[in-house]
Order: sequence, then structure tokens, then C-alpha cells
Amino acid sequence: MMKNKLNVVWWVIGLLFFAFFPKIFGIYYTNVMVTLAIFSVFALSVNMLLGYTGLLSFGQAMFFGFGGYGTALALTHIPGIGVLPAIGLGVLAAVVLALILSPLVVRVSGTAFAMLHLAFGQLMYVLALKLYNITGGEDGIANFPVPGLFTESLKSSPEHFYYLAMVILGISTWLMWYVTKTPFGQIQVGIRDNAKRIDYLGYRVPQSKAVIYVLSAFFAGVAGSIYGLFHNLVSADGSLGIGMSFAPIISVMIGGVGSFFGPILGVAIFQLVDELILRYTESTELVMGVILIVVVMFMPTGFVGLYRMLRQKISARRTPEAKKEKA
Amino acid sequence: MNILETKDLKHSFGPLAVLFGVDLQIEEGERHAVIGPNGAGKTTLFNTITGTYHPTSGKVFFKGKDITGYKPHKLARIGIGRSFQITSTFMNLTAFQNIRLAILSKDGVRFNLLRRVDKMQRITQETDEMLKRINLYEDRNTPASALSYGKSRALEISMALATNPELVLLDEFAAGMSKEETADAVALIRKLTEGKTVVIIEHDMDVVFSLADRITVLHYGKILATGKPEEIRNNQAVKDAYLGDLEV
Amino acid sequence: MDPMVSMYISQGIHGIAYGMILFLIASGLNIIFGMMGILNMAHTAFFMLAAYFCYVVVGITGNFWLGLVFAPLFTAVLGVVMERVFLRKAVGHMGELILTMGISFVIVAAIKKIWGTESLPLQMPEILSGMVNIVGVSYPVYRLFVIGLALVILVFMMLLLYRTRLGKIVRAAVSDRDMVNALGININMVFMFVFGVGTWMAGLAGVAIAPILTVFPGLADQVGMDAFIVVVTGGFGSLAGAFIVSIIFGLLSSYGVQFVSQFAPVLMVVFMAIVLAFRPNGLFGVKE
Repeated sequence: MMKNKLNVVWWVIGLLFFAFFPKIFGIYYTNVMVTLAIFSVFALSVNMLLGYTGLLSFGQAMFFGFGGYGTALALTHIPGIGVLPAIGLGVLAAVVLALILSPLVVRVSGTAFAMLHLAFGQLMYVLALKLYNITGGEDGIANFPVPGLFTESLKSSPEHFYYLAMVILGISTWLMWYVTKTPFGQIQVGIRDNAKRIDYLGYRVPQSKAVIYVLSAFFAGVAGSIYGLFHNLVSADGSLGIGMSFAPIISVMIGGVGSFFGPILGVAIFQLVDELILRYTESTELVMGVILIVVVMFMPTGFVGLYRMLRQKISARRTPEAKKEKA
Repeated sequence: MNILETKDLKHSFGPLAVLFGVDLQIEEGERHAVIGPNGAGKTTLFNTITGTYHPTSGKVFFKGKDITGYKPHKLARIGIGRSFQITSTFMNLTAFQNIRLAILSKDGVRFNLLRRVDKMQRITQETDEMLKRINLYEDRNTPASALSYGKSRALEISMALATNPELVLLDEFAAGMSKEETADAVALIRKLTEGKTVVIIEHDMDVVFSLADRITVLHYGKILATGKPEEIRNNQAVKDAYLGDLEV
Repeated sequence: MDPMVSMYISQGIHGIAYGMILFLIASGLNIIFGMMGILNMAHTAFFMLAAYFCYVVVGITGNFWLGLVFAPLFTAVLGVVMERVFLRKAVGHMGELILTMGISFVIVAAIKKIWGTESLPLQMPEILSGMVNIVGVSYPVYRLFVIGLALVILVFMMLLLYRTRLGKIVRAAVSDRDMVNALGININMVFMFVFGVGTWMAGLAGVAIAPILTVFPGLADQVGMDAFIVVVTGGFGSLAGAFIVSIIFGLLSSYGVQFVSQFAPVLMVVFMAIVLAFRPNGLFGVKE
């Protein structure tokens, strides 16, 4: 009971924080927050595959990109479409792509899964560049209308956009968290640990993978769609490039694979490091590369793992000492 | 009636033949041991029955139905469970979560994305009951990787039984156990498999003769003899090939 | 000869030459994968690095042949260093994939920093430039040279794998690593050697392609992606698979450019998708 009340208090504090964020911190940090939220949802979608099912994809950007292009195209070509249906269409595009790929990709795992996605991701990138009439080629699709729910346009009111984005991204985060708590989520963890045994317990491994794959694409699509709206631009390099597939992997690695909230921490750290280092060098590639190397070599379980390990060490040190003192 | 039957079951790995036509017959409700020297093909026999491998030729029948080549998940659903010689639990999950995965499958909760699993009281209750029956309740929240060897073996066996199969195949459940652990495991199996059909692969002859109603001796991929423990003990061919060395 | 036919033939030679280069890269990847279970994501970065090394060597000495000899060697040394210093610390296949990807990013960034993003021309030696006329069709000599070079390497690899004790160990390790360990062979030395040879082959491919495509930082992406697709399609660790698929891809790409121009890259991915739909582990792949 006490715990429940405490939970409610935390929820209220959290909601108030996000509700008054733009008023307190001003427009610059409001936009930073939207960026963080977008990449959190994107990283969580990667972690859904990587952390909860053990599938490493080098092409998650294609779902992110499909979400963005779908929404941008809908807003460009369908007169009077609302912002929510446009987001819906973007997400639908990502889901349809995942459904098409799922029979193929769920039959492989490990290295082949990663490489297959690298190839498909690159294919989508090339197509986005070449199908100029649809995608606008290198320039991408820009300056499409961004209608608000209650206002004509969100373009000049970042505060309104913040609320729209945060509600959608917040719900997405909650949904992804909820999935991990369902029986289905438990089965996914089982697949990551020991797919063979899951099979022998009577679960269909490929079908489970297919479902999680499509769910992951759904949330990557949400993130991509909001990202496109946020920048009012969707382009091959911005939404489909190989860097966009690796940014969420890096965040997940920094935060800690498999812990639910680790990737969010990872996104914050990665964005911060990126921001700081880019003041000294132009090269995002260098930043990403160095972070990947350092994380894999020195903290393979990420910050969450580091924290757990430290906590364990401290409690382990305490117990024998306590015993000694008694003796 | 035979609950499980194999007809002329053969299996080879490339040029290397391991099973040369096995006709195994398991009666409903019995505890049946498959014994034989190393390399006799016991585990391969299990693997071809339970869908790890598709047999090169021959048939497998469960309750009269042809189940040759069924995938493991399908076998689990029609009531065939198995445990592994090398412990194959979910190492990063707790004992409770391990058993719960089996209970969820038993109750047919597979693709449920709507309810929280920790709010499903019946599942939690059944899982806890199972943990109590197998004396792992105190280790409820211990990760499988941190369990003692005896306990992790108990978990291994219990996962196969927690799905409540009609027929369960246990591959060397006592492998690597101490005398006491083995005795505990035998008692556990007796308790958990009441009314079920059990097929075990086992090297420990004490376990075999105390647990099995009937015994099949496998020798170089063929059945040498099948019968009650007494018959096997007195079978000259078996003595010559195998038991003689063990001084039963 | 009919100009159409002669065009088809010379296009075919182009395709085979490109296929051979893909094969050099892909087989380097494959022997490393087969031996160590590591898919080296930095492989194509090394491939590109070799092209730059060759550019430097040629810049200093003016001699392409010295570049051909030394650039792949420098690259192999770097590959070995990477294996010893970094790769040993990675945990699991996922760690290895991500670590090598990180190294690849760093190499590409370093290349851009040092040499810029411009396309750098690399002059091929006099003797290899120009055309040669065989039964009425004229071929570019350099492409024939590339094909010949790749065949020589192929033969060299076969001899190494099937005629030497080291080759025996490598082949044994591919099928059963524990056994080789049990035989008391210093597997770490073997790993190092294999990694070196694999990277050396990537380096050779980089040097070979440099005079054709020029030297630029997109080289790894453009050619490397094709090589990765070759490995996936042919089956991880399979040299035969890599050879066949490389040739098919080379031809697809050269004829593809002819008929569907800019959508040629799409053809390969489609081919890969079709193959994997029927054989999820690739044409010659065995289950992981």
C-alpha cells in the first residue's frame, strides 16, 4: 500500500516535470528534450530486439526512415490530413515493411541477422536516393505542412509540438515497458537466454521473433515519424543512413543491453558526448567509433551493468567486514 | 497399449550411421530405462524422437499417431516433454521465472501481450506450488546460474515435468550428481511422474534397477534386449555385451 | 565482330574482374569467419585503407608494383594489431561485431582527416594501361591483370590450405576448434596468422581496384557492402560460395549498369533475398 502511494507520488512529480518543462527551461532545452525522447524510443525499439530477444540488427534505420517518409509523404500529398493520421500512416509503412521482411529474417539469427539488415538497410538508403520523384533524392522531403491537433500549424510553436511529441513518445515508452512485463515479454527473454529450451517448452520461436520484430519496427516507425515532423525534413542521410542504424545500438550499449531503462540513460550520455566532442571535431563517425570500441572493451554491460557490479562489490565488501566485527 | 513406438528408426550423421533400425516400444504409464554403453546411440534416439533431428528413415508413433519429424514445440503441445543431459535452463532468469515459463506453456498462455504476467495469480500460484514440490521455493529468486549443481539439475528435470506432459524423456538426469543428490532426484522423479510415462537414459545401474519397470538395452544402434529388470539381469547377450563388466 | 556482341563480351570481362575483386575481399572475410567465428566489420575499411597506402607508396616511389606489394602488407600488419590489441577483449559475437564496426568508423574518419574526401587518381603502370585485341574484341589490359592476379591468389590460397601443415590446422580449426586446442597447437598464433592473411587479401583487392575506381572515402561503402552481401549470400565461411556468388554479382553489376543503370545495386540485394528465402544460411552455408 505504502509502495503504491509512493509510486503515485513519483508519477505525479514526473508528469508535472514534463508538463512544465518548456516553461522552466525555455525553448532550447525543450527541443533538446524532444530529441532525447525521440532517440530514447528509437533506442528502446532496438533494445526490444537486442536486449529482449538477442537479435542484433544493423538496419533498424529503415523502419525509422519508413516512419519518417510515410508521414512526410502523407502530409505532402493528402490535402487536409491531420497530424495523427499522418503519423499513423508512417508507422503503418514501417510495420508493413517489417511484415514483408519478417518471414525471411526470423529464420536466421546472430551474425546473419545483423548482416541481412545491413544489406536491406543499405538497399532502402540507395532506393531513397534514386527514387527521386517520390523521395526527393538527396534533398529529401522538406517543408511539408505540420498541422497541430488544435492549431493550424505546429511549425512556429515548438512548445505545442513538444506536448504532442512527448505524449506520443511517452505512451510508446510505456507500451514497450508493458510488453516486457507480459507473458510474451517473458518468452522473449527466454529466447535470448536459450531458444532451444523455449522450443522444447512448446513455444514457437520463429513466430515469437516475428511478433517482436514487427513491434520493434512499429516503435522505430513512431520515432522516425516524430523525428521527421520535428525537423520538418526527411532525407536519406538524415533518416536512413547507416549512422542512424548505429546511433541507437551505441546508446543501448552505453546504457546497458537488456535493462529496460538503460538505453534511455545511454541516449542521454551519447547525445551529450556527441554534442561536446562535435565542438572540437566535425566527425560524428570518429565519435561513434571511439565510443563503440571503448564500451565493448571496457564496459560490455554498459552503465547499468557497471552500476550493478559496483553495488554487488560494495555489498560483498560490507558483509564479510560486518561478520569480522561481530567475531 | 503403447504410448510411444518407433518403427525401424534409423539415423546417420553423414556417412556415420548411429541408429540401425530401432523398434522401441513404451507402454503407457511405465517407467522405462534405455541403457547401453557410450556411443550406443541413446541420446541420438532421444533426439530423433523429440525433434532435434529428423530421422534418416523410420517412423515414430505417439498414441498410435505418426509424429515423425514433429518440431519440439509441437511435441510439447501434444504432451511430450524432455530434459537434457547438459543442463539447459534459462541461466539469467530466476528459478521462479524458469518454472513459470513452463507453467505458462502448460496453461496455453503464449502470445498474451495484454496482461502483466506478475498479476496472473493462478500462474504465480502454480509456479510457487511447483517450486515447493521440488524444494526450490527458498531459491525462488536465485538466478539459475547461481544454483548449486544438484539444484540446477532439479530445475532442469522439473521444467520438463512442469508442462505436465503425458510422456517425458529424461536424458541422464543424474549425470554428475553425488550419491545423496541422486537419491533426492530419484525421489523427486517418483513424486512428480506419478501416472505419467517416463523414459530415462541412465548409466547408474542402481538408479535404473530401482526406478525402471522395464529396460531396453541399446548396443551399437540396435536394440539388444527389452524386458523387466530381472530378465535383463539374466539375459546372456546383455551380460556378454555390457552388464557383465558392471558386476550388477 | 558485331559491335553488340563485342560490347557484351567486354562488359562480361568487366563483370568478372569486379567479381574477382569481390571474391578477394569476401574470401578474406570468410577465412577469418570460418577460422574464428568473427565477422570482421572493419574488413572493408582495411580494404579501403590499402588503396590509400598504395596511393602514398606510388606518390613517393612512382612505382605501382611497389604499392601492390607493400600496401597490402602494411594493411595486414594493422589487421594483426587490431586482432591482438582490440578484438581479444570483445565478449561474444555481438561484442566482436560492434567492436569491429567501431574500428571501421574510426578508420574511415581517420582517412577523411588525413586525405580529405576528394577522389584521388591512381595511375596504373604503362604496361597495364591500354587495350589488347584478342579475336577481334579489345579488352582493357588492366582488367585482365586483375582477373589473373585474383586467380593467382586463389591458387596460392588453395595450396596454403591443402598442401601445408598450417592449412591443415586451419581447416581442422574451422570444423572443430577444441580439437586443435587439444592437440597443443598455439591457436592464438594461428588466429593471428589467419587474420593477417585475411586482411592482406582485402588489401590486395583495395590496391587492385584503386586504378579503376580511384581512391575515395566512399570506397568501403560502395564495394564493401557488395562484398558483405556476397558473404551472406554465399554462406558464411564458404570459399566456394563466395567464389560463385562473387562472379554472379560481378556480372549482375556490370550488365545491370547496362540495362537498369542506377538500380544495379538493387539487383544484388534482390538476388540475396531470393537465395535466403530458400536457403537461410546462404548457398553453401551450414547452420551456425
